[in-house]
Formats: sequence, C-alpha cells, structure tokens
Amino acid sequence: MSAVATAPGGTSAKKQQKNGRNELSDRLKAENSLGQRLVAPAVAIMLLVTAFPILRALYLSFYNYSLTSPDDREFIGISNYVTALSDGLFWRDIAMTVLYMVVTVAIELVIGFAFALVMHRIVFARGVIRTSILIPYGIITVVSGFAWQFAFTSSNGFVNGWLPFIDDGFNWFGDTTPAVIAIMVSEIWKTTPFMSLLLLAGLAQVSEDMIEAAKVDGAGWWQRLFRVVLPNMQAAIMVAVLFRALDAYRIFDNIFVMTSGAVGTESISFLVYRQTIEQFQLGMGSALSVLLFLSVLLVAFIIVKLFRVDLARARGE
Amino acid sequence: MALAAAAVVAGGLLSACGESGKPVLNWYINPDGQDTLTQLAADCSTDDYDIQIQLLPTGATDQRTQLARRLAASDSATNLMSLDPVFVPEFANAGWIAEWPEEWASKVVDDDVLEGPADTVRWDDGVYAAPQWANTQVLWYRKSLAEKAGLDMSQPVTWQQVIDAAAEGGGTVGVQADRYEAYMVWINSLVAGAGGDIVSDTEAGKDAQVDIDSQAGKDAAAVIQALADSDAAQPDLTVSREGTSLPFMYDDNGEFMTNWTFVYKNYEPGDGKDFTQEQFDDLGFARYPRTVEGEESRPPVGGIDVAVGAFTDDLDQGFEAATCVSNAQAQQQLAANDGLMPSRQSVYDSAELKDAFPAELLSLFQESLDAGAPRPKSAYYNLISGAIQASWHSPRSVDPDTTPADSAAYLEAVLRGEALL
Amino acid sequence: MKQKIGLVAGVTLILAWCLLPVVWIVSLSMKDAAAVTNGSPGFWPGDAFAGFDNYVTVLTEDSYSQFRRAIVNSIGISLIATTLSVILATLAAYAIARLEFKGKKLVLTTALAIAMFPVVSLVSPLFDMWRAIGLYDTWAGLIIPYMSFTLPLAIWTLSAFFREIPWEMEQAAQVDGATSWQAFRRVIVPLAAPGVFTAAILTFFFAWNDFVFGITLTSTETARPIPASLSFFVGADPFNRPASLLSAAAVIATIPIVLIVLLFQRKIVSGLTSGAVKG
Repeated sequence: MSAVATAPGGTSAKKQQKNGRNELSDRLKAENSLGQRLVAPAVAIMLLVTAFPILRALYLSFYNYSLTSPDDREFIGISNYVTALSDGLFWRDIAMTVLYMVVTVAIELVIGFAFALVMHRIVFARGVIRTSILIPYGIITVVSGFAWQFAFTSSNGFVNGWLPFIDDGFNWFGDTTPAVIAIMVSEIWKTTPFMSLLLLAGLAQVSEDMIEAAKVDGAGWWQRLFRVVLPNMQAAIMVAVLFRALDAYRIFDNIFVMTSGAVGTESISFLVYRQTIEQFQLGMGSALSVLLFLSVLLVAFIIVKLFRVDLARARGE
Repeated sequence: MALAAAAVVAGGLLSACGESGKPVLNWYINPDGQDTLTQLAADCSTDDYDIQIQLLPTGATDQRTQLARRLAASDSATNLMSLDPVFVPEFANAGWIAEWPEEWASKVVDDDVLEGPADTVRWDDGVYAAPQWANTQVLWYRKSLAEKAGLDMSQPVTWQQVIDAAAEGGGTVGVQADRYEAYMVWINSLVAGAGGDIVSDTEAGKDAQVDIDSQAGKDAAAVIQALADSDAAQPDLTVSREGTSLPFMYDDNGEFMTNWTFVYKNYEPGDGKDFTQEQFDDLGFARYPRTVEGEESRPPVGGIDVAVGAFTDDLDQGFEAATCVSNAQAQQQLAANDGLMPSRQSVYDSAELKDAFPAELLSLFQESLDAGAPRPKSAYYNLISGAIQASWHSPRSVDPDTTPADSAAYLEAVLRGEALL
Repeated sequence: MKQKIGLVAGVTLILAWCLLPVVWIVSLSMKDAAAVTNGSPGFWPGDAFAGFDNYVTVLTEDSYSQFRRAIVNSIGISLIATTLSVILATLAAYAIARLEFKGKKLVLTTALAIAMFPVVSLVSPLFDMWRAIGLYDTWAGLIIPYMSFTLPLAIWTLSAFFREIPWEMEQAAQVDGATSWQAFRRVIVPLAAPGVFTAAILTFFFAWNDFVFGITLTSTETARPIPASLSFFVGADPFNRPASLLSAAAVIATIPIVLIVLLFQRKIVSGLTSGAVKG
C-alpha cells in the first residue's frame, strides 16, 4: 500500500508577533535549527534506502554484471538501456502495467464512489460498515492473492460454479485475458475500500445547501451528481486517483502469487524482480530499475498534468 | 538507530545454534521426501555436529533462487544443499559450492553409481556434489483405458499413438506444460527423442551452439501441438504440473501421464489414501513415449545431488555429512518410503527395493535412467531453460513451423545479452 | 422509502463485497487437506469439512515451524519498525506543523516522492548493499526499508493531526518559561498521542503487508516475514500448493488485522482521510 494523501503543515507556524527585532531574529534562528534537527533523522532514513540505492543502480546499469559470474563484469555504456528499450518484452510489460493501472483505478473509482454515496447517507450500522470496509484494506495483499487464486481455480474454487456462463472446468490461469481479470479482481477487491474512504471524506466536504439549492431548481439526481457533487469534490477525487494510480502502476504481489508472471500477465515491476532476483543480472536489472523509476515519474507527471491536480493545494500550502 | 541495532542482536540470537554449543550444519532440502530426509538428518548427525533441515520452496527455479541468494551473500551457514542436477554447473562455476577432494569424491562417485547420475555432479574435471537419488519419467497409464482404445502397451508407443488412444477412449494425457522447469524437461526429452538437442558445445558458456531450430525441434513441437489440439488435452494443460494431472488417473476413463517415479507410491493404497487395491491394479507403466516412429525415446532424468556450500568453515564436516545422507542405506530409505529412486546399482538389487516395487518397474526405471536425455550442462543453464520456457509457452501456441526457429533466435539473443528474459 | 430500500441494498452489497472473500478463505481453511489435493470445488467445505485440523497442523507440526517463526518475525519487525518510524515522524511532523525552517518544502517533497517510489527498483541495489554490510537476512535489514517507506505516510498523517492541536497551550507553557522542546514534550505529546497512535496503526499495516522486501532481502527463517513465508508454503504433496493449509495460515495472519480494525476502526478512518481533502 502506498501512503495516503494527507495535507499537513500548511497553516503552520505563522510567525508569532513579537516585540523587539533581536528577540525575533534569535528566536527564528533557534526555530530554524530546531526544525532542521527534528526532521533530519527522518530525512536521513528516507534517503538511505532510496537515494543511495537508486544512484548505485544508475552506476551498475552501465555494466554487464551477473552475480553468477562476477569476474566477467565489464563496463558496456548504455548497452543495457538500448537492449531494454528495443526489446518487445519491455514494452509489452509496460503496456500490461498501464492496462492494470487504468482498468483497476477506473473500476475502483466507480465502485468506490458508489460505496461512498451509500456510506454518506446511512445512519445505521456505521460501525459495522466501517469495520468490514477496513478488512480488505488491512489484509495482506498476498493473502488476497491466494484467496482469489483459490477461488478461481477449477479444482477447489467456487467462481466457476457460481458463474452460469462459465464451464466448471474452465482454467482462469491458462490464458492472458482471464488471468489478468483474476489478478485485477484481487487488486480491485483489496483497494476499493481505500478509494471509497477517501471519496467519502471528499463527499463530506460538499455543502448540503448547494445540493438543496440544485434540488429546488429542479435538478434531477444525476444532474445534481454531475453538476454539483462531483465538481465540488474534484480535489479529493484527484488525490485518490493519483495515489491509487501510482500504487497500481507498481503492481507486483498479486501477480507473483497468482500467476508468477506466466501467460503474459507480467508487469514492469515483475520484470525488474525477475532480472535482478531470479536471473541475478544486476547490470540489466539496474538499468530496468532506473527505467521503472523514470516511468513512475512520467506517470505521475502525466496524471498531474492530465487532471490538473493541484499538488500545492493537495499538500495544503 | 540504537533500537535497530538491538533488533539485529535479537534477530541474531534467535537464530543462534542449537543446544550444548554443538555446531549445526544447515541442510537445505527440496520438499520431496521431507519426512525421510528429516530422519536422515537425525541419523547422520554425529557427536561433532547436528544436521538441521531447512526447507526450500516447491519448484526447481525457486529453489535455485533461494540458494543462490544465500550463496551470493557468501553465507557460511549454508552447509549442505540438495540441488537439482542442472544447477550444479552454474553453482560450481560461480564458486558457490565446494569441489570435493579426491578422498571424499571417491566415496560418492564410485563404480556402484550409475553413469547418468554420476555425470551430473562432474564439472570442469572435478566432483562438486554427491548423487543422492536419480529420477526419471515413465509413461503411467490406466490399463483399462489403453485396452478400451486398443493400444498395445507391450510394444514401444509414440506420443501420437498415446494422444490418439486417450482421445478415443475418452481419457486424457497428463504432462507438465506450465511455464516452469518441468516443461523444459518435457521439451528436452521430445527433442532428444527425435535425435536432436536444444544446445550443444555448452562448455563454451554463452557461446554455446543453439540447435533447436532443426527437424528434431519441429518434431518436438509437433507433439506438443498435437496434444494441445486434441480432446485428450487436460483442461489445465497450460498450467499443468506434476501434481495437477494426478487426480485424472481414476477420474472417468483415466489418463496416460508422463511423470516421475514417485507416482507409484502415490497411488499405492495405504494409510490416509483413498485409492483401492482394484484401482491400483489398473495402474500400468511403460517406457516413455517416442517422439517419432522408429527412434528410441529419451526419457527425462533428474534427481537430487547434495552439494557443500563453499563458504562454510569446516568443509570436511560437510563432505562427511553429505556422504552420509547419500549413501546406499539412505538411498534405500528414500526409495522405499517415497519412491525416489536410487543412483546406486546395489540399491536396485537390494531386497528392500524388490519388496517395495515390482521387478518390471525397477528394471524400467533403470532402463529409463540409462537411456535418459540429460538437460544441457551449462553454467548458463538458467538462461537456456528460461528462454525455452518463454518461447514455447503456452503449449497451445506451439507451431512446428515457427516455434523452433523463433526460440532459437530468442535463445541466441538471450545468451548474447541482447534480449530480456 | 424507496431510498431506504436502496440504502439497505447498498449496505448489503458493501458487506458482501468486503466479507465474501474473507468468509471464503475461512471456509477453505476448514476443508480437508487431502480432499483439496484431489479437488473439491465449491464455496462451502461440505463433505470435506475438517474443522480446525488445518490450524492444528500449521500451528503444531514440525514442517510448518518456518511459518510459526515467520509470525514471530512479522510481529517483531513490524512493531520495531512502527515504533521507530512513528518516533522519527513525530519529531519531523512537529517541526513541519509548528516551526518555520529552511528546507521544509524539500522535506515534504521528499516524503511525497518516496511515497510514490517504485519499491521493486530498489531491491537489486539494496540486496547488494545489505550483502556487503551484513544486513542481508536480518531483522534490521527489513526494519530500515520499512521505516523509509512508512515515514512519508506517518509524517503526513501526523502533521495533519498536529495542525488541529490547540497550540495556545504550548504558548502558555512557553510564557511560563518552558523552552520549545519542553513545551513540545510536556504539553503537545499528550495531546498528540491519539494522532500518533493512528499513524502507528497505518505504519503497522504497511509493514505487516510488505512482500517485496520480505522475499528479496531474506533467505531463511531468521527474518522471513509472514507474506514471504506464505509464498513458500509446501504441503504433503510437493507438487501442489496446499490450499487449505495455506488458507489456515492466511487466516492466522489476518487475525491481528481484524483485531486492530475492530478496536480502532474510527481512528483508522480518520487517519486515512485526515486532510485527504483540504479542511
């Protein structure tokens, strides 16, 4: 799971009005140094595990370096990048990853919004709903993957029996399309609650007066939804989409558990994993790591541009 | 950070060695025959050390990954490991497993050891492991199904005959065609059975000669295509593994199934098993099917070799322990309890084995091991196997006209480092 | 009235959505292991009902000692990572919410960037680094990356909470002669405790859920956490995943989550949504 979009810090610490210039500047200096000291450990830990390794990956990506024959390590310039970027598998995995991202986020948005609407209106059983909706959120992704994998298998599952138009012996993991559907179901099941809670919070921000006013003006339910409710919770939707999309783009656990990347279900994260951890091709794996990192930045950039997410506003600045 | 350091200490303490300060030799085992292996570990523990079992995941590829990760980290606590023979060259080449000095090597590779298994532990003129058991595949089938289809099983049969007979008798054909190591095993045997090979000159490492784009490759692809297109294909063909085809044997009309030696013990009636004696009597076995008419079949061979980690402190303890867990007595237990066949001739001749298995089956196993087609012996085996699996999966898309050629081009590119695997 | 029926239907649908797979895995965990090997389709165990046999197997048999060890690892690693992460995040969030200092924007941007970081692209260099400095396959080798990736979440959640705290009390303390640090410790910490607690729960969820680091940075039961351990589950039949035993283990791994959710649902929801929208 990724982090959550919260909005800290913005209204913080407007400098208190103080009398006397010296006192003010001393106090500011002390505040500055205290602030930096307080954030330093957190920043150090965050960078230790991200900045340094990604720089090392950048360095290794220019080598032909396999862990099984470490003595043959040699500098090969950008060959790894050329190979990766001209390889059909790389682009197929990128396309597959984008497909996972777009489909799951779109479906989650719709179902999550429907859930949020229900939760917003109900006055009974709130605790029960809240509890149940948090279980998929908290459950281990690997467990969700197993639960759905077993559900879809013909030997021990129930899905084939429940779906009238599916043969009882149908093998969901034998072909790309059904296998991808199974993986998406697990992914969507687990993350829709998160989406619906974010949207619920957004829904709570929409003023009832505006909705009432629209009602008085004779707007129907759909009109109120699209003209009043949705535009007024745009920020919440965008933040939810951005975070979920970047999370979905990194999809790995469900694929690992459900298909191990077989029948063309592999994502870009899975490709990187295979190259580095299974094949021990640290050089090529590092190049792919760097490309994955860059592609995440690109996806984030596109989403922000496309949906005009105001990050500053999301951050509350 | 202090707390983190404390955690390291705590983690370290929790994993510290056993009672009374005796050193512990960790033996990483694959899950087949787990109970017997646990017993062997206890029996082979001495006053100087205890052997402790560490379980590896299912599947040869995952097992390799786990071991390689530890060894790449120069782990001194990886003392013994059960290795699929195909990974011995890679591990030896990387300097991860210790070469056996002559005094020990002569004990584990002597005249009693069958030539096939003995060859798997040799690399670069040295011995790098002890053959523990030898595996091979035969054709298991439901006698009533073969009868119904009128297939004479006393004569060598071809894949095409088996597929046709299964379809005619309303049965199925069980194989291993998921994208994993056993699919490579199947392809390798099919190609060898047509008189060809996947790669040759493997000593050249990455410059090995890729041969799969050949008539033999086409013949192999034709078999896979024939099964995939036939009614006899099991519904989960594309993800079929050793275990998935087992239930088909006594389902409806039954099946023909190429599978390892453990199958016999699997169906033998006994504690906690649902199979009846009548069903068991209906179980037949025959030599692995031929790829093409008139050419001897080349059954898959496998098994387990026990290697000693190169980074352990006391190598001699490792050699001693590895020798003990792979000696004739150990092999006898593995065979009798788990159907994992010995790599020593004397064990086949022992009374225990003759009690546990019918004589014809024992001789079929030996015949299959002798005629077996080993997989390519290369330090880059992992790349070879991965590339073949990638281009031959799914079995439903295999086409004799394109698959062998495509896979040859892909394998060459992968070996040259010009394509992603 | 019509609306009420719709709502009841909606609630039912939500409950079914959330709980069906959970009920399914509980149901599967009660299927007889041998029956599962031979195939036993259907939602309910039916004839294959085996009660809690699979739980007994997983919790007592020698061959599953690695899973029991994984429970210890997961609890230990997750709790330590959570504690350390929340301590560091509390300090940082206080500074961000309360103090004016150079580089504040940089900290927030770093946190945001790390929250979006593709974890998999780190496994190769981390594997290499940890090998070199001896952190590979240790608790600390997992605790450190868990901290890095939960800090952004914790910092953002906490600073959102801290903005809601009545800071006049801190000023009052300062007027009484306390330094910034004393004011922080005596006045703010008690007030912020609920927020800290929420951040801790979310952090714990992340650590408990992690799979990528769990499989790549460990190789034995010394440090292997539950999700990685589950993916290595082996049954009596070495060629098939033991679905029902695995389900039993999965249910066991889910119990802490269910308990936390039952006890603290209100806090979790407020933590997840706090400040997701400006306001």
